[in-house]
Amino acid sequence: MARRRKRRRTSRSKKTRRHSLWTKLLLVLSLALAGYLVFLDFQVRHQFDGKRWSLPARVYARPLELYVGLPLTTEQLAKELSALHYRPVQAARQAGDVSRNRNVLHFITRPFVHLDGEESSGNARVSIANGAVSRITDGVSGKAISLVRLEPVMVGSFYPSHNEDRVLVKLEEVPPALINGLIAVEDRGFYSHHGVAPLAILRALWANVRARGVVQGGSTLTQQLVKNFFLTSERTLTRKLNEAIMALLLEWHYDKDEILEAYLNEVYLGQDGKRAVHGFGLASHFYFERPLTELSDEQSALLIGLVKGASYYNPRRHPQRARQRRDLVIDIMAEGELLDPEQAARARSRPLGVSRYQEKAINTFPAFLDMVRRQLRRDYREEDLTSEGLRIFTTLDPQSQWQLEKILDARLARLEKWQDLPDETLEGAAVVTSIQGGEVLALAGGRKPRFAGFNRALDAQRPVGSVIKPAVYLTALEQPDNYTLATLLDDGELTYTAPNGDVWAPHNYDMEFHGMTPLYHALAHSYNVATARLGLALGIKPVIRTLQRLGVEQDFRAYPSLALGAVELSPLQVTQMYQTLASGGFRTPLRAIRAVLAADSEPLQRYPLRVKATVEPASAFLVTTALRYAVRQGTGRALYQELPATLDIAGKTGTTDDLRDSWFAGYTGDRLGVVWIGRDDNQPTGLSGSTGALLVWRDLFAGLDDPAPLQSMVEEIEYRRIDPPSGLLAGEGCQDAVELPFVRGTAPQESAPCAYDAVPVQHPVDWFKELFQ
Amino acid sequence: MSSVSVARFTGTVLALMMIIPGCSMAPYTPAPRPAPPPVVDRGVTAPEQPDSPAPMVPEPVYPAAPVARHQPPAVVALLDHAEAQANSGDLDAAAVTLERAIRIDSRNPVLWHHLAQVRLAEGEAVEAEQLATKSNSLAAGNSGLQARNWQLIAEARRMRGEQSGARSAERQAAKLKSR
Repeated sequence: MARRRKRRRTSRSKKTRRHSLWTKLLLVLSLALAGYLVFLDFQVRHQFDGKRWSLPARVYARPLELYVGLPLTTEQLAKELSALHYRPVQAARQAGDVSRNRNVLHFITRPFVHLDGEESSGNARVSIANGAVSRITDGVSGKAISLVRLEPVMVGSFYPSHNEDRVLVKLEEVPPALINGLIAVEDRGFYSHHGVAPLAILRALWANVRARGVVQGGSTLTQQLVKNFFLTSERTLTRKLNEAIMALLLEWHYDKDEILEAYLNEVYLGQDGKRAVHGFGLASHFYFERPLTELSDEQSALLIGLVKGASYYNPRRHPQRARQRRDLVIDIMAEGELLDPEQAARARSRPLGVSRYQEKAINTFPAFLDMVRRQLRRDYREEDLTSEGLRIFTTLDPQSQWQLEKILDARLARLEKWQDLPDETLEGAAVVTSIQGGEVLALAGGRKPRFAGFNRALDAQRPVGSVIKPAVYLTALEQPDNYTLATLLDDGELTYTAPNGDVWAPHNYDMEFHGMTPLYHALAHSYNVATARLGLALGIKPVIRTLQRLGVEQDFRAYPSLALGAVELSPLQVTQMYQTLASGGFRTPLRAIRAVLAADSEPLQRYPLRVKATVEPASAFLVTTALRYAVRQGTGRALYQELPATLDIAGKTGTTDDLRDSWFAGYTGDRLGVVWIGRDDNQPTGLSGSTGALLVWRDLFAGLDDPAPLQSMVEEIEYRRIDPPSGLLAGEGCQDAVELPFVRGTAPQESAPCAYDAVPVQHPVDWFKELFQ
Repeated sequence: MSSVSVARFTGTVLALMMIIPGCSMAPYTPAPRPAPPPVVDRGVTAPEQPDSPAPMVPEPVYPAAPVARHQPPAVVALLDHAEAQANSGDLDAAAVTLERAIRIDSRNPVLWHHLAQVRLAEGEAVEAEQLATKSNSLAAGNSGLQARNWQLIAEARRMRGEQSGARSAERQAAKLKSR
């Protein structure tokens, strides 16, 4: 009995144990399931609540501001509008339309959030005459408008490594026709189901069985979103199950509008090379080059149709298929009374209207963007740049950039022909800036503008040659009691023995010595020997300090040959140096970025206009005057073979040993340009500064008639007529006197010998001889 | 500095700009003169030169006759806008607007003076002083504006605790005012 009982007990306990085992197993299983659900729930909420998408940073050019007097041609304005994807129409009616009647452009701008706030849509009629804006009126009221600001051209994006791209849209920005059409086509029951629609699944299953293949999907928009959002595209039962659970969870936590908005931004709608096109916002730009708000019914229908298969219905590759699909969507929309029969018929009759695909490099101006990116890397982490949807407002002036790209390669090709060099041996780099603002307007890192390679404007460190000389002369002119523009410098033979015994005997480019010559003339004609002697007299260290004050932040070794440019600088550094001279002695750090805004347009960082007085305005004035002589009479005078004499320019050529580097730095009233030409293998180019880089500069500034004065008067400056050979005051009898500026009280007191001569008769014949010399 | 004093200043400067002739845009344009005979090259050959045109002499920069210049409407519009922004306390936006104006009329010393004002109101004393100095470098012949710039420099220096520097700036301002 006891045994039995014992046995019974045993069996009971066995049973109990087995039972408890099941319970435990069940418990573990349900725990695991619960855990899994919690896990899925966490995933769903984490992904949905947190940042849903990594958004690339968008980089914008400067917005074009139109006002009466702005130098601009009709073609330039038309090109800017075309870069902004304005549509040429007969009569401008909606934002993004432009109509043209000869030199009058009538357009309606799009609203845009600039770095200083939103600019609403504007309706403007702009007349252009003689290369400048002559009149701006309101397109509706006809009243004069003082200022119109366009949207900035988007010039690039910084993409995350997975190359997904999208333009986020808010639900209220999406045309109702698109939303309703999408629901009608993809998920009729969207507003009533809880994430899954079993009936729809059964219906789809039945359809698929009948058709012996997958012809219909039963997925709700929520499921499709879950699939895109969290899961891979493999077709397994587990995945289907996960998808359903997550869809239910998503619907439980969030309302329909949030889910719909997420869907509109997430769905995959095409491929642009390596870039995946996600969401309707970007798709609208990608297929129609316009924002979503400007889509017509049939364009909305086409995008809805693409949801089913963006590559199968790719309207560029398979226009026939895409059209059938679009028309089917239009039919469904008509059935659902989203379009009346007339609208539907009109929509069906329209062509696809897809823009021509441009196999474009993602970033239009790689060299400039490279500069932007480097500047940003100092302040932002790489992942923030590619994921936070930053809006970056740059200083790029597309008009200058286009001009630079157009002329650089063409001019280099001509120079190669002239020098009998094989094609593409020459390379070049150039920087264009605004003088007072220090903004980089255009940048060429090489002659192939779309090639994102070695950025010579920033990274090529090349000997600068005579381009450095203004720093030497500035150092001298900053001692107005010792040096004026009329001070005679000695350009006679020079042999200098360094303390270590090295002998230095510089010579001039023309292998001659020019004796005593006024200072401005020595700089204008770039005399090496006079400059070398001046450098030795001043001391090289003060010259180095001048360079640093001009903005070349770098240490140099104090060799006397520095005065002749035996140092290596990048084109950008040379630009910074001339910037300070051109802006009258105020150093402005060159800027490529104006501001960075967060995705919601909240300002994150501004790069404001800063100036620092580092050179006396009077001294800068004197150097600029000498550099005006350089391009009128000296080494830079080939400029005026093609440019109008009314364009006031100051500039300096630079040539290095064996003609390896050709430089030109020059400025007008509001623009500065620095050009370098050389070879990547550092072999001779056969070009001097004036036969190479100067010509690029000349092409760049051709057509520019800069109304801004080159120099602003400085109070400490006064003018005197000087007889150049003696450097003394000219009188009636002096034939070739020049009017030179002096710091007050430093002009010579003594009169030149010719001042006492009888007044000579002008010989027109000599004058002409001079002309044809 | 409060936005009220910015407004006061903006107002006075606007008034100044209208009153003082030649203070807008570039105060000086080269006076037209007959082309002088070219300088004799004295046997110097321009070495780096291909065949060149006749040498020319750059025109000296002369002070323009003090004639009231027409202020570009775009600049006036931006100034009004900047003033409104500064008055409403949005100094950052006012600075951005003034930079827009400077891009249009970059040698207008009044615009640089305004920007200096805004920077000072933002507490950027170093920047403000530099901008006022820049304004002065463009304001030759306009002693009224120069005096205001020196006054601003004095305030900026005081803000940084440079009392003696501030006093010397004030002396400059007084000297210019008495002109």
